[in-house]
Amino acid sequence: MSQLNRLPAPFGRLIDRAKPLTFEFEGRAIEGFAGDTIASALAANEQWMLSRSFKYHRPRGILTLAGQDANTLVQLPDEPSCLADRYPARHGLKVMAQNYFGSFDNDMARLVELAHRFLPVGFYYKTFNEKKSSWKFWEPVVRAMAGLGKIDPKADFHHSYYDKKYLFADVAVIGGGPAGLAAARAAADAGAEVILVEENEALGGSLGYARFDAKGERGNQVLDDLVKGVEGRGNLSVMTGAICSGYFADHWLPVIQGNRFYKLRAKSVVIATGSLEQPAVFRNNDLPGVMMASAAQRLIRLYGVRPGRKAVILAANDDAYGAALDLLDAGTEVVAIADLRATASNSPLVAAVKARGIAIHQGHGISEALYAKKSHISGAVLAPVAGEGTFGRGGTQVACDLILMSVGFSPAGQILHHAGAKFGYCHASNMFQPVETPTGVHAAGSVNNTYDLDAVLADGRRAGLAAARDAGLGVAEIPAAPAEKGNVGRTHPWPIFPHERGFDFVDFDEDLKYHDLVNGIADGYDNVELLKRYSTVGMGPSQGKHSAVAAVRIVARETGGDIARMSVTTQRPPYAPEKFGHLAGRVFDPERRTAMHHRHLELGAQMMPAGIWWRPAYYGAKSERSALINAEVRAVRENVGLIDVSTLGGLDVRGPDAAEFLNRMYTFAYVKQPVGRSRYVLMTDNAGVITDDGVACRFHDEHFYVTATTSGVDAVYRQMLFWNAQWRLDVDVANVTAAYAGVNIAGPKSRAVLQKVCSDIDLSAESFPYMGVRLGTVAGIPARLMRVGFVGELGYEIHVPAGYGEALWDALMEAGKAEGIRPFGVEAQRVLRLEKGHIIVSQDTDGLTNIWEADMAWAVAKSKPFFIGGRSTEIMGAKKQLRKLVGFTLKNDADPCPEECHLVLKGEEIVGRVTSAVRSPSLGKVLGLAYVHADDAAPGTSFEIKIDGGRRITGIVTKYPFYDPDNKRQEM
Amino acid sequence: MNAIAPASHLRRSFIYRLLAASGAEFGEVNGGAVALHYGGSREAELATARRLGLADLSVLPHGGFKGKGTVEWLTAQGLAIGPDSNVAYKQAGGEWAARLAPTEIFLLDSLAGTGALLQRLNAAWQWAAAAPRPAQGYPMPRQDSHAWFMATGAFVPEMFAKICGVDLRREHFAEGAIAQTSVAKMSAIIIRADRPAKDGRVTPAYHVLADIASAEYLWTCLMDAAAEFDGKPVGLRALRDLEA
Repeated sequence: MSQLNRLPAPFGRLIDRAKPLTFEFEGRAIEGFAGDTIASALAANEQWMLSRSFKYHRPRGILTLAGQDANTLVQLPDEPSCLADRYPARHGLKVMAQNYFGSFDNDMARLVELAHRFLPVGFYYKTFNEKKSSWKFWEPVVRAMAGLGKIDPKADFHHSYYDKKYLFADVAVIGGGPAGLAAARAAADAGAEVILVEENEALGGSLGYARFDAKGERGNQVLDDLVKGVEGRGNLSVMTGAICSGYFADHWLPVIQGNRFYKLRAKSVVIATGSLEQPAVFRNNDLPGVMMASAAQRLIRLYGVRPGRKAVILAANDDAYGAALDLLDAGTEVVAIADLRATASNSPLVAAVKARGIAIHQGHGISEALYAKKSHISGAVLAPVAGEGTFGRGGTQVACDLILMSVGFSPAGQILHHAGAKFGYCHASNMFQPVETPTGVHAAGSVNNTYDLDAVLADGRRAGLAAARDAGLGVAEIPAAPAEKGNVGRTHPWPIFPHERGFDFVDFDEDLKYHDLVNGIADGYDNVELLKRYSTVGMGPSQGKHSAVAAVRIVARETGGDIARMSVTTQRPPYAPEKFGHLAGRVFDPERRTAMHHRHLELGAQMMPAGIWWRPAYYGAKSERSALINAEVRAVRENVGLIDVSTLGGLDVRGPDAAEFLNRMYTFAYVKQPVGRSRYVLMTDNAGVITDDGVACRFHDEHFYVTATTSGVDAVYRQMLFWNAQWRLDVDVANVTAAYAGVNIAGPKSRAVLQKVCSDIDLSAESFPYMGVRLGTVAGIPARLMRVGFVGELGYEIHVPAGYGEALWDALMEAGKAEGIRPFGVEAQRVLRLEKGHIIVSQDTDGLTNIWEADMAWAVAKSKPFFIGGRSTEIMGAKKQLRKLVGFTLKNDADPCPEECHLVLKGEEIVGRVTSAVRSPSLGKVLGLAYVHADDAAPGTSFEIKIDGGRRITGIVTKYPFYDPDNKRQEM
Repeated sequence: MNAIAPASHLRRSFIYRLLAASGAEFGEVNGGAVALHYGGSREAELATARRLGLADLSVLPHGGFKGKGTVEWLTAQGLAIGPDSNVAYKQAGGEWAARLAPTEIFLLDSLAGTGALLQRLNAAWQWAAAAPRPAQGYPMPRQDSHAWFMATGAFVPEMFAKICGVDLRREHFAEGAIAQTSVAKMSAIIIRADRPAKDGRVTPAYHVLADIASAEYLWTCLMDAAAEFDGKPVGLRALRDLEA
């Protein structure tokens, strides 16, 4: 029968009966309404078993109906381990249970329970600590049993859109129950900008489901009033269905709502996260049909679902009697109330229950839940309490399909813990409570050990006003915390009744029974933090929400310690599950493109990353890579080529002290460098290690345009700013890398091509010689021109304002058409420069390379008094070098071309490595650069290179430049 | 103003292909092709600009000066620059002088885009003939180092909240305020410069200045962030209409 447990209105304040829906659970059609969760709709349809437990595969059902426990984890088509009591039921959804072998109803892994005696607490410690070899036996078993839900990598998964967003507030209020609502309203009244974060879809917390008076009217009345107080206010935003999963420094709060991860920064915070109802420990307390009293009340009031037909209530407080009245209103027969307290309370709720003729067994508990079929309970054994955790003789069996536990609460203090609040144990209330909170963090309501509704509202107002004042609002007076908190008599000090036949669960997530913890303590893990790691108590998906306090009680009793001197285990974020998608958000991966980027793509370039820049590696099909690179090299050597060098770093150094500044920053001398000339720059750090190179172009007495490597320019710029601040020279440094697009037009015909579009500069060798720099125009575009020789041919680097970059490229390609100009990429440039023996800093140098090793002493001005790294360079120069960067060719050119980082050996000792090597298309042989032993650096000396497969080949130290050793071609 | 091809001029926006793909029609402003509108009705594009519009102004004149003596020299040239850094000072012609640091000014032309002020300043700045030279700062190639976008409309702060950690809501980020911050994981300068209409209606507006080499990346991120609010690209015409 469909929805046979559905109650009529007004039960079910969250569901919309006008919007029916149907979904599947384990292939069975389930009917529900909009507003249902998966779990509430299943309950309406008498589907009480929701999952199988982690270890013993015991049937599990609704425990809290608040998304606080692992019992409700279900499998959705594209997402495992979803909380069925939080996930909305959607039409057409296909839901499966998880963690079973065979069928859900007849899980074959249920047999594991028979072997429970052979799976003692600390199983991993005991099994693998001494007998490591046993891992081989257990590994497949552990792997088969581990995990809950499943991800099918073959399924048609899609990436969902997750993102992040910043939020700002004066006061953040976490928790939209009575305390949070009162706090938010008070803070907003004080003028604060408030954001109220509530994890459920509806505001109100316990006001929406709990019973505060015999008639059951007060909760709704207060709720309506509080909700009106927070609605429609310009300075108060309400976020529902939003979970604050932690607290970080300076009131930074992660809040998850749907697929969005909010980063909420507040000036002060009110934490009104309420309390977690705690289970009692008795035999079979984990089976479907046993649930928190608050869970049953949520079913009835929020979803209009009758939680059972015949109920027994285990009580230790008056709230149990409110639940009893709710059950009676919902048509559930309350067979008995077993009240752990020796004497009856005189509360109106108790009187009302008595008036309804319900059997109350004072001083009794439940020693065991019974079951006829293993998927649901069928009865309970009531027994008289004899002492702490013990029953007297005798017991009464009563038939029931529902057992409610109402034995106490624990503060939902996780976020307070994250914030650094200190908690202490209150013997009067038998609960932990915050005793000290950090500045700007305020606890309110039941998380602050305040339970009486009027006191909760007053506590909320107090916290809201205090937070507003912390946020800088003018609040004249903060009321004192309510004197009477109503926390005494809510929580039983020992709701734990171990059974001689066990299955008295303390931790449902990890299937830990009472004696598992006792045995763990006996094994020596007698501190709650140690016991947690040994037994795994509190380490399951619900993170000890219902086991941590019980574990502390057990440790205290077993060790004879005072619980007041203990605390629950450390609570760390996140409070609630966070998906990787939430943490990743919308991935931002900045990239830089040159002005000519699309021209490269149009020409079929294979692009390669250079830092975050994209550069053309070569132009054409990947399958023809080698031939294309060689053809590009030949074009430059024999004709004319064009390469985009926009990524090259560019720094404008200007001011009266510009030359002196460069003198200190770089190894060479610049004071006497003529205007209109460029000079090589080589940078070393304080240790004398080579860190960057480029050229300094002097365009004015007080203006140098300094180039740097693509990947090094940002660090060079930082270094320059740092030293400029130290030295206080009259110089200004600007990183203008992106502001200039650049090309290098190179090859014997480059001058002829350039002349077609550059009429205001005399390009002749006499007028514009090698290493000269000029200002002029190219194709009508203002340009900085430099004659450089990186590729070893006649060539001009042309730097223009970036907005003109594409037009410059177009103009040069057009101008070079007749000459057959060919674009060339980074790969060809690497070959060209290697043929010339030019090093690339960070490829041919490493984190230790000094100028002596790199054979670059020629780049050091010896007459100047100082440069960064100068002293270190001097010291290292006085020592014998251990290695040296040399050029090499192969003794047998038929040998394979070595690759970068192939080792250089001297005997069996590693003395260096190959840094660059290529089979030169210009020279038709292998050539490269390598570090060799300093004693083997003389030209003609042979050395061994270990290449792929361990084979050794012989390199011959060869003087470089390999190509055009007299540098005639670049100086044409 | 006649429609022109986006690559018809030597100076081009780095994102002209993206704008063209969105249906932009271009016109010449200051020697470059600027997206003037996107083909729909003028009123609809204006409504978009009031809700959430993104415009590319990269071709419009912008520049700057930096270094010792910058503010004194610019003041001598007739600019009104206040004492506080991270504040943009509006000039008589509608230009903005954004003081990024005590000795660093980023100049944005008015949306008329005549470039008159920048042309005058660039012409006025010359190396003195001989040392010692007066401290007058140094011109910065901001026109080409920074893409210039403008985000307008009521949803701009919400959109920015998805990609930027600074609270840019109007009540927390005053007219002329500057945030030198991170947007979509890259450095950017945000300047609030609302667009007041003659009828008193004020449309929130923010200049966004960022690395020109990442212009396509940033524009794509902004459009993605704006999609939730039905934000769309708008042309210079709509921005001008906001002040009509």
